[in-house]
Amino acid sequence: MSHHAAEPTTLRERLAAWVAHLEHVLPAQAPIRNFVHHNTLHGLQHLPFPEALAEAQRITGARPWLEESRCRELLAEGRIARADLEAALDESLAGDEVADLDTEIVPGGRIRDVVLIGLLHDLSPVSAARLQWLLHESDALTRPVSGGVQVGDLPALWQACGDVLGLQPAPQPASELEALFRTPAESMDDEGGAEDDAGWQIGARALWSMLVGRLGREWTLSALLERLTGENVLEEVRPTLIRHLAAHLDLGMSSWRNPKRAQGFYAAWRASAAADIGWELDEWLAAREEIARLPDDPLETIERELMHLGPDEAHWGDYLERLALELPGWSGMFLWRDRRGGAPGAGSGDEAPVPVAMADYLAVRLVLERVCCEELVHRIWGLPLFLSELGDHFLFHPAELKVRHDFFAGLLDEADAHEARRLIAGDPDTAHWERLAAKIGTRRYSREPQRWPLFLLSQHLGLDAAALRAAGPATADALLDALGRLDATARGFVWLQAYERHYREQIFAALTRNHGRRVPAGDVSAAPAAQCVFCMDDREEGTRRHLEEVNPAIETFGAAGFFGVPMYWVGLDDSAPTALCPVVVTPANEVREVPVAGAESIAASRRVRRALRLEWQNRLHRATRDGTLSAPLLAMLAAPFGALAMALQSLAPAWLGELLRRRREAFDRPLATQAAIGGDRQAPLAANARAGFSDDEQAERVAGFLRTLGLTQRFAPLVVVVGHGSNSLNNPHAAAYDCGACSGRHGGPNARVLAAMANRAEVRARLAERGIVIPDATWFLGCEHNTGDESIAWYDLAALPAARQADFDALVRDLGEATRRHAIERCRRFASAPFAASAPPAAGRALRHLLARRHDWSQARPELGHATVATAFIGRRTMSRGAFFDRRAFLISYDPGDDDGRILEAILLAAGPVGAGISLEYYFSTVDNPRFGCGSKITHNLTGLFGVMEGASSDLRTGLPQQMIEIHEPMRLLVVLEQTRAVVSAIYHRQPPLQELIGNGWIVVAAKEPESGEISRFDPVRGWLPWSPSAAEVPHARDSAAWLGTHREPLPPALLVPEGTPC
Amino acid sequence: MLNCIVEALALAGTLLPLVVALPLMGALAIGARLVAGVHGDDSEPATAGLARGAGLASLLLLAALSVGSFAATAKGTQAFGEWFAAPGFAVNLSFASDTQSLLLALVVAFLGWVTLVFSTNYLHREAGFHRFFLAMCLFLAGMQLIVLSGNAVLGFIGWELCGLSSWLLIGFSDERPLATGNALFAFLANRIGDAGFLLAIGLAYWWVGSAEWSAIASGSLPETVKARMLALGLVTAALAKSAQLPFTPWIARALEGPTPSSAVFYGAVMVHAGVILLIRIEPLLLQVPDMMIALAFAGLATAVYGWLCGRVQSDVKSALVYATVMQVGLMVAACGFGWFEFAAWHLALHALWRGYQFLMAPSYLLLAPRPASLPPSLTQNVPLYTAVLQGFWLDRLARGLLLRPTLSLGHDMRRLDDRVIDRLLGVPQESHRGLAMSGNGVAGRALTVLSEWLQLVEDRLVLQSGGGAMTRGLRRVGDAIRVLEGLLEEPRYLMLMVMATFAVIL
Repeated sequence: MSHHAAEPTTLRERLAAWVAHLEHVLPAQAPIRNFVHHNTLHGLQHLPFPEALAEAQRITGARPWLEESRCRELLAEGRIARADLEAALDESLAGDEVADLDTEIVPGGRIRDVVLIGLLHDLSPVSAARLQWLLHESDALTRPVSGGVQVGDLPALWQACGDVLGLQPAPQPASELEALFRTPAESMDDEGGAEDDAGWQIGARALWSMLVGRLGREWTLSALLERLTGENVLEEVRPTLIRHLAAHLDLGMSSWRNPKRAQGFYAAWRASAAADIGWELDEWLAAREEIARLPDDPLETIERELMHLGPDEAHWGDYLERLALELPGWSGMFLWRDRRGGAPGAGSGDEAPVPVAMADYLAVRLVLERVCCEELVHRIWGLPLFLSELGDHFLFHPAELKVRHDFFAGLLDEADAHEARRLIAGDPDTAHWERLAAKIGTRRYSREPQRWPLFLLSQHLGLDAAALRAAGPATADALLDALGRLDATARGFVWLQAYERHYREQIFAALTRNHGRRVPAGDVSAAPAAQCVFCMDDREEGTRRHLEEVNPAIETFGAAGFFGVPMYWVGLDDSAPTALCPVVVTPANEVREVPVAGAESIAASRRVRRALRLEWQNRLHRATRDGTLSAPLLAMLAAPFGALAMALQSLAPAWLGELLRRRREAFDRPLATQAAIGGDRQAPLAANARAGFSDDEQAERVAGFLRTLGLTQRFAPLVVVVGHGSNSLNNPHAAAYDCGACSGRHGGPNARVLAAMANRAEVRARLAERGIVIPDATWFLGCEHNTGDESIAWYDLAALPAARQADFDALVRDLGEATRRHAIERCRRFASAPFAASAPPAAGRALRHLLARRHDWSQARPELGHATVATAFIGRRTMSRGAFFDRRAFLISYDPGDDDGRILEAILLAAGPVGAGISLEYYFSTVDNPRFGCGSKITHNLTGLFGVMEGASSDLRTGLPQQMIEIHEPMRLLVVLEQTRAVVSAIYHRQPPLQELIGNGWIVVAAKEPESGEISRFDPVRGWLPWSPSAAEVPHARDSAAWLGTHREPLPPALLVPEGTPC
Repeated sequence: MLNCIVEALALAGTLLPLVVALPLMGALAIGARLVAGVHGDDSEPATAGLARGAGLASLLLLAALSVGSFAATAKGTQAFGEWFAAPGFAVNLSFASDTQSLLLALVVAFLGWVTLVFSTNYLHREAGFHRFFLAMCLFLAGMQLIVLSGNAVLGFIGWELCGLSSWLLIGFSDERPLATGNALFAFLANRIGDAGFLLAIGLAYWWVGSAEWSAIASGSLPETVKARMLALGLVTAALAKSAQLPFTPWIARALEGPTPSSAVFYGAVMVHAGVILLIRIEPLLLQVPDMMIALAFAGLATAVYGWLCGRVQSDVKSALVYATVMQVGLMVAACGFGWFEFAAWHLALHALWRGYQFLMAPSYLLLAPRPASLPPSLTQNVPLYTAVLQGFWLDRLARGLLLRPTLSLGHDMRRLDDRVIDRLLGVPQESHRGLAMSGNGVAGRALTVLSEWLQLVEDRLVLQSGGGAMTRGLRRVGDAIRVLEGLLEEPRYLMLMVMATFAVIL
């Protein structure tokens, strides 16, 4: 103690390092209203993809690959082809091992074949019970395995498998009667010979040092004890801990918080736990006093408890990590707040920050761990909690250790397990324990489990009994060795690569066939009818494709949805600023929405009326929940309205939703506003931000934006910037449907601000100086596309020049038609949409369906978000225009001819992490939804306004809900860049963040030569791999609707060839 | 003209049992589909349609009947025949058709239908989709039986249907041990109330000669003692079902199920069943004023408890459920004060509002009502805060007093089985296997089993006696008796003995 007390800073520093390390393993999800997609394994991004996933599996126990049975289903459905699997196998066993793969083990059976059979079919060993069933109840011995070769006599083959593995037949009792007379005790005596005694006892003692050695590195003490007693000691205290945690982190649910909350979690918990007579009720008599006597400093407590719990000091950090991972969701939220000084997160109103320190949390966890383990050790063994004492106990009772360990590790067969259960339930007689331990200890490990895989493999290879016997035991071993060639990680990765390859081939083929196709945009030298800039979002791929089909004279662009304008936005009704830009960016400017000149009086009245409306809404919901006498009174008054709302929600959700929306807007008094882009008289609300943008800043933003797009000439009369957002009811995860490039918010304001900037004469003058001449006839407009119901809200129409009115009207018509067609396309993926087998719904019905989804309080899937996103194209629109990509592609506009690589570099740095974050979060939430995702929405319970639990005392659930990922195809994002390989390589070598993302394989990158259209894929190890098109034809269709038909499954890319045009 | 309507409505009155039968038939049909193994997206509309159809039909029927009941003169109970009868014991198929019952049933049917519509989308693609609708139909049938039954037996069947479906839905996510554990807790806690209900039914037949509500509640029991016993059973049942003190902890654990079922069970409908029962036995309660005082006390205590506990909850479902508990406490208190009519109105209106609020629970991020501030004198007290956060440890007490002794009892029984009975016979169960004898049909198989068993006993005790099995057996009996003696000295067995004695003398 004195040694550590002499240098207290050391522990503090070490603790800081441990806590910092926790960021690598805990979920880093912000409070749920700020939900932003990010790589679930962001903390492991410094590792190569397969290694990182294996590490995640080791740490968290979650399965980072798609289940193999599901992969085989995909193979059967044609989403993966056999050729893909073979190619992926070659690729994953790169280098010298490939040659080895062609070694022939048996005639016609190379290692490659065996490995492939092992992937294509389930050849895993089966349990003894299942084997019995397969042999005696199923037709495994009479019918050849499906997909195998006829090998004749199956029982003979089964026998041969046993023989080559050197298995002896089990001794059969001479008669039924004899079996009856052999009691378990007697048969035990027969087997447990005295001469074997020493062996298992030494083994058991070694077992203890092995178990203790894993303490800290892999296990906490409670986990170790769980392996010896089957009891999780924290089960009892976890609900209370969660209650304390939720209360401490609460952002505004409860009105009564721990009185000591301001002193931090440790102090608050300690005060309450020391006053908690629950300990006595659980018969833990000393716990309360001990808690009261704990040191005030959490650090001191951490040190004391760690010394008491007994892990090796070198593994203290690991021990804390294991501890934190027992409730990953709560630990992660605690850490998130810790890292941000306890801040509740942007936009959560008037909540004062409370101190949130990870050390507090860890100290509490350690105390609970110790108290609970102490109780358990005392209850079961009557010992104090010291590892040495427990070790001594097992030194004298090795049989007990052996039996307990093997039983809880599930190593015992049924009869032994029954006996063990009996002993563990309470048998003080050492002789009984020793008898069973000796019996377990002398049991030889049998190769029986390998017999079934060998049996199946022989059938797949066409080996009959005679051939197998002839091949001999060595060959059988070689076969089984080849079968086990790939470990779980390698298998998962092969399947993933095969899955990715299948879709990638289709994309590459479509892009290649689309290269240089005459795009039906009419005369390219003439200015287009309009230019629309959408967000890069995959959901806009459909909108853009339909808009171009409706009017080929319209050009579309894609850009990250903050449109190059990072800013704090204060909407007319907002009380706090919101950052509208990617999460990694901190804005320097703040823009307010203000009433237009002359509307100030309306604005004032609007403020009053709106506040009144919200106040009453608040009062109603609050008082009926926590009022005393007002609660029954108000609830009774409100009941008829509640009943009416329920009835209408059930019968006509869309009608009710629209009615309420209109009534609300009318009550608040609608008001014309403008964005005060040049700043306002008022001081900015956001700290460290300036009000508005200066003229130079504005010009810089607009120029940067236009250059990034490659839109610097041939301006159309109307340039429309389309932000997006989504609305839904009853949806805690609503932010996950909004614009990822705007930190999970609606991106309309960014579009509005950019358009307003680009229309100003001062800005245009400065742009002209920089070589971007926007004609006077060109007008910029901002709007917001609702990806839920496909509606479009326009901004600042009053300023539209009269000369552009006709163009605008035409554009609105075209956009309306495009969104109607898009609505039909979207309906095909909704099970409840009015989508008959014979024909898709009419546009009106489809739109009404989408509107109803948005307003329906029972709709857990208001839309499908980014589900199915698989690829990103960075290049000119000609690259993908006229082809169908099933709403699965991020589309980012970029002109390769106008660039030395700097623009592409900037795009990659901004859009790369956003796209990768979205795709990887969907990937992980899909492959293991219960652990990487947050499970089904239907049992979610909103907690503290920052997260969801299942029921009232579960871990905090992070990741995406099951409802968002059902139709997702989990694969890594394929990013196709339209640029030469040389330029891309140069960027790659300049940028460490991109080396991490691409070099470690978190995204897959390919380059398409701007001139020749040749595509090469980048492999981190082997460099550029040129892609050669296969002979397979890319499908054609007249237009999107024709290609979609009545299909509801994922569709491959196709070329859209309007009638009368050459392909 | 008016006569025609009145006649038509009277005719409709004969359809009253359909209100219960329709959801029951829906449940049966869905159960048949489940057995047939339907699955996939395409199977969902039919299941949801069956449930919604049944719900809507009973809702419309009740609407018609409620309108009719204002016009018609016939009120009270209608009998639709006899279910079964024995001397001194008859169960009628009787239903209450007074306006109040019909209106309450209308509220139940409305909330049930809304929840079914809500769940159609909400539970899309859940593994337990069909199971959910089956349980919801059972619940609706059970709840309507509670509201509309003309006698205690039918009411009890409804009571049990609600308990069963509630258990099924708390444990909806059957892959989560916490959910199934809590389902069991809620189920067991409700068994105490059920015992009270059963006791009351027995007493009613014994003393009153009938279980018709009208007979039970008519005041035909001159002795207050008997009336008090009868009321005690029913009041216990009511307090348990409505999660009143001391039974409140179960409802806080019941929030594991899907949001719509949490809403309709613990927010809006089932939690009110106890109050409905109290309203039903109003005349009986009026006979025993001390019971009324006890009710008022329990209700007020629960209201205070619910209010305090609700203040510290940081998750929306718990916050809402404690708000519900508080209001139901007020309703129980109102019954205690004799304001049954008011309690009925409060109940119906509260059910409607809370149902709406609970279904909107996922929107709390948006509604986010700012909590009211409380006086510092209350909130600065750490021991009080801890007590409230822990729900005054009722949960722990219940575990200590009920759950653990029950588990220990089970544990001891198994040990008795393992140590004494198995060893006496010395039989591992596996040795039945392989005996050549077998019989056909139920009788044949029963004979086989019997003969196997006899043979085993014979083998063990007689044939092996030379090997000392008999002597060993006798020695083991001695051991066993000593163990038993030891066990009997433990307090829980003493308690058990005392309870058994009481059961006999009562």
